[in-house]
Amino acid sequence: MITGTGVVKTFKQRGKMLGAREVRALRGVDFAIPKGGAASFIGESGCGKTTLGRIIAGLETYDEGEIEIGGVPMSGLKHKQRQPHFRKIQMIHQDPYSALNPTRTVHQTLHAPLTLRAGQTGRSRAWIEERAAEVLSLVGLDPGTVLSRYPHQLSGGMRQRVVIARALTVDPEMLVADEAVSMIDVSLRLGILALLKDLRERLGVSVLFITHDVATARYIGADGELYVIYRGQVVERGAVDTIIADPVHPYTQSLLSAIPVLHGLEQPGEQPVMPLESLDESQSDAGCLFARRCPFRGERCAEERPLLRITEGAPQEHACFYPERRDVIARPMSEV
Amino acid sequence: MGTQAPGVRIGGLTVVYKTPAGELPAVRDISLTLEPGTITGIVGESGSGKSTLALSLLNAVQPPGRIAAGSVEIDGLGDVVGLAGEELRKARGRHIGYVFQAAQNSLNPLKTVGKQLLDLGRSHGVEDLRGLVREAQELLGRMGLDGARVLDSHQHELSGGMRQRVGIMLALVLNAHLVVLDEPTTALDMITQANILKIVREVHAERGLTTLVITHDIGVVAEVADRLAVMYGGRLVEQGPTREVLGAPQHPYTKGLIKAIPRLVGDIDEARALPGRPPTLATVPKQGCVFRERCALRMDVCDDVDPAPQVDQGERGPRTVACHAVTVKEHA
Repeated sequence: MITGTGVVKTFKQRGKMLGAREVRALRGVDFAIPKGGAASFIGESGCGKTTLGRIIAGLETYDEGEIEIGGVPMSGLKHKQRQPHFRKIQMIHQDPYSALNPTRTVHQTLHAPLTLRAGQTGRSRAWIEERAAEVLSLVGLDPGTVLSRYPHQLSGGMRQRVVIARALTVDPEMLVADEAVSMIDVSLRLGILALLKDLRERLGVSVLFITHDVATARYIGADGELYVIYRGQVVERGAVDTIIADPVHPYTQSLLSAIPVLHGLEQPGEQPVMPLESLDESQSDAGCLFARRCPFRGERCAEERPLLRITEGAPQEHACFYPERRDVIARPMSEV
Repeated sequence: MGTQAPGVRIGGLTVVYKTPAGELPAVRDISLTLEPGTITGIVGESGSGKSTLALSLLNAVQPPGRIAAGSVEIDGLGDVVGLAGEELRKARGRHIGYVFQAAQNSLNPLKTVGKQLLDLGRSHGVEDLRGLVREAQELLGRMGLDGARVLDSHQHELSGGMRQRVGIMLALVLNAHLVVLDEPTTALDMITQANILKIVREVHAERGLTTLVITHDIGVVAEVADRLAVMYGGRLVEQGPTREVLGAPQHPYTKGLIKAIPRLVGDIDEARALPGRPPTLATVPKQGCVFRERCALRMDVCDDVDPAPQVDQGERGPRTVACHAVTVKEHA
């Protein structure tokens, strides 16, 4: 179980001419990912989803709040003490082309973490070879053909599988996939998404998806939770399918409306939502963070910040004073 | 020319790259017509040859690549393959606007956008530079940006979506009426992508352009294009009116590609990845169908004979598919 309560992160930019500027990347985020569970963070670039993912993976510190891994709070621990906890959380990066050392074969890439692992658990050299072959089979690669290859001899999809295999060498409890398929050929993307879903089901590894494409978030499984993040605040949270079918926050509705419609195959939703302007982090923090871009803003929105809560009529949590269901997503022609 | 949307006729185009294994074709015997005033979308995965095809429109394939055969006829310009030197340089920009892949990174980081605009103007012998700046401001304003502010900015001061719009402005400011957009929305998030696509559609209609969009994302083409062409392994495997191709795809690759897109509604297990991987320059079959290794409908004939494109004159424009299995079914 990995939980976060009131996680705050502020980046300070020092400017000689214009003075210091602060970017509030996270403004008190709560989350909980049960063991073997799944969650997905979605939002635009710059909404803070990647920062949160990096904090969860231990690659970034946080200023306020608390992260607990298996019930152990991380903030009181020294760097060295934290490491074994964060090792249970492995990151799959966006770009499999730069995530692998080009001068090392797949064998060498897997050998290093496995040797470390063998040292810790007192296992033999033979175990290392066995385990290397095993993790490759787990990700759907044939050890016989892949082990001796260099990254440049593999396709994007295969590289991403090697990256996932490397993450599995340390027996992680959670994989954090940050836009893990966006640089992979379209015809192969689904294979990687299905693999993550499969690893979750077979090995009980939790999966955290960070993505701007809501459709891929469905691949974490129907029991997964969706967190819609905007300017460092969770604005809607609930079961993946609930939020996709019945979003109530105008920001979630904008994200869903922006997904291209396959004309000829699909019918667009009847009430698409377009934000009034584009994301500007320097905008004032008063009131609802989305108010300036929101086509449905009311009087209250400029003065007060809505908090994440459940209201009557919708099963999910949301942070909007005027929640309303709107028909935003495209549906297959056959259903219309 | 200069005031009307030109038509483009690509005929039997083959582009080869020199490799240690000899000259290998990245684009092989492609014929494609861009009707004046339409938006055509080319969809393909990495290594399909789509960017090479787009560069051929400018006759800008760089060594070790070269156009080995075929022609690219553009109304008012003639066959671009025959152009060279100064003539070719002038055609680019004036007649053909090109928005490069990752336009976010194709700007000069050391110069303001305005300075780069003036460079462009001077290199094309524009006398009224003030007019050019005005035109640029108008275009940027049209795309929802503050023109004066953007022209005074360096690229690092602009967001990804803003840089993309600057790329579109630079492609159009010399009044080109043929525009090529190479992966116009890669690396942009969904909301910004929707914005850019809306701008592409609107600017296309307002200025009377002929537009070619190159992308790996079928959703992008579905949103903007009148006609859709699907490339695989350097070949054009299917083309036709976008709605028809998406609604009733014929080629097994097109079908597979559409099936591989995760959707918001319906059973997610129905979406399926295509088996195998896209071919590279070195692994693409030299004879027979380029898709056969990943095809469920593979027959003996696919190994030896290249399927010829079958043209079907439909109501909304011709539809072409190059597949033995489809042809056999029709004649059976």
